[in-house]
Amino acid sequence: MNLSYRIYYVFLRNLVSYKRFVVPTFLVSLIEPLFYLITFGIGMGAYIGYFGGKPYLYFLVPGVLVSSVMLSSSFECLYGTFVKMVHEKLYESLVATPVSAEDAIAGDIVWGAFRGLVSGVLMMIVANVMGVFPASIPSVLVLLVLMVFVGILFASLAMTVTSVSPSFDFFNYYTELVLTPMLFFSGVFFPLDKFPGWMKTLSEFMPLTHAVKISRAVFSGAYNSGLAWNFLVIFVLEVIAFYVGIRMMKKRLIK
Amino acid sequence: MNAIVTAKNLTKKYGQFVAVDGISFEIKKGECFGLLGPNGAGKTSTIKMIHCVSPVTAGTLMVNGMAAHIDNRDLKMMMGVIPQEITLDVDLTVYENLIVFAHFFDIPRREAKKRIAELLKFVELEQKRSSKIDQLSTGMKRRLLVARALLNNPKIIVADEPTTGLDPQARHLIWQRLRQLKTQGVTLILTTQYMEEAHQLCDSIVIMHQGKILKEGMPSKLVEDEIGREVVEVRIPPEDDDKIIQHLSSFSFEHERVGDTLYFYCRDGQELMRRLIELNLHNFLNRPASLEDVFLKLTGRSLIE
Repeated sequence: MNLSYRIYYVFLRNLVSYKRFVVPTFLVSLIEPLFYLITFGIGMGAYIGYFGGKPYLYFLVPGVLVSSVMLSSSFECLYGTFVKMVHEKLYESLVATPVSAEDAIAGDIVWGAFRGLVSGVLMMIVANVMGVFPASIPSVLVLLVLMVFVGILFASLAMTVTSVSPSFDFFNYYTELVLTPMLFFSGVFFPLDKFPGWMKTLSEFMPLTHAVKISRAVFSGAYNSGLAWNFLVIFVLEVIAFYVGIRMMKKRLIK
Repeated sequence: MNAIVTAKNLTKKYGQFVAVDGISFEIKKGECFGLLGPNGAGKTSTIKMIHCVSPVTAGTLMVNGMAAHIDNRDLKMMMGVIPQEITLDVDLTVYENLIVFAHFFDIPRREAKKRIAELLKFVELEQKRSSKIDQLSTGMKRRLLVARALLNNPKIIVADEPTTGLDPQARHLIWQRLRQLKTQGVTLILTTQYMEEAHQLCDSIVIMHQGKILKEGMPSKLVEDEIGREVVEVRIPPEDDDKIIQHLSSFSFEHERVGDTLYFYCRDGQELMRRLIELNLHNFLNRPASLEDVFLKLTGRSLIE
């Protein structure tokens, strides 16, 4: 792993180019989760009524927030990275400078995580407007750390998928077979306790489940020792995914 | 003059495919060194190893006293690369392309700004500073690639077919700039398929084919050794070859039949021409021998895909 401070330069390159896309990407990052919040939260929430003493919207916000981080950072390192690699040949010119392949890939993963963080923060603001707040100021910090963790994890996983993708079409497998099921099996929209045992076990293997649990505690203020385990799972998966993503992408770049 | 690049038995394999097949050569400090060859000869693979973006499969490759390796940041720091494909950052403007690239070389911002102003002038793109890349012509893009390669004041410039797809004006401008750099003591390593380009720029060349070096030397000397001074092309039916060659037997020349043309390679074409006129042949052409003749003779005149 030939990593250096030059990761920052790669991040900066993305930031300079992002200037032009800020408005459209802000809109895109907001619309999908907003859609969930409005349709499920307000529309369906009206039928569901109260969940643990609070309106359904309070149940929904923490989950939708972390899933928006997941989706944003994933898409950035799927489509964004693929365009830079195949269409714009950006990596080719990067690796001819003192920026190593590892720096370039890690820089893009960090960028993907940043995009996730931006989406998450935007979502939090929307939730605040709708009257849903994290339990306390320290909880906000926990939430920010969680969003960075989730961002790095899913950006790295997406990088791994991109490293073996022959074309855009390939990403459909990942989004339809991995990301979408994750949304429904991780307790974002409803609690998992009515699931049969095997489905509960399955959901334990989904990193989003752990992120949703932490996020929920952040909003309810009901912290418990199980959350340390949730954080640990996310952290370990993240380290592995980061390493594997960089290794596989480097294999694709350096021939 | 001492060598700045030394390759010994340099080999590059992609899986089972051998792209560079144990070649050895030396590039002297301050010269312009050309790699010539048809498509797939191994030129690009060779220079990619020199500028440290492709691992060496076998053999040794020393650049400026260091082993070339993909993680050798010191070498990348002192090299400028003009790639074959236009790898500009299309999301950024001309200026942003350069300032972002200057970061990659750890050039302080103030110095970078000064350098960018100089370079935009050097490649005559001052007016395009704030343009987006897709608003530039191919010639402008290539010139911007030249400017980008010079940001870090490189000691060695690696140019992979730098004038592909350019009109004559743009091509000459790039040649002038590259020659100008050479007078400043920069070592230039160039691949090209244009024989004129090699003649215009290179002090020494190697001709590569199927991963091997076929010939090396000074361009004009190679032409003289391999072909002679002049070429006479005669377009006659192949059946007449023997007859004509017999008529010309008092001259010393080499001949070759390719397609519809019989080529004579000789020192002095004048006498030969006179005799051809006596033979009442009209469809012929006398011209100075060029690097292209050497190239075609060595790599074959048939198409290489």
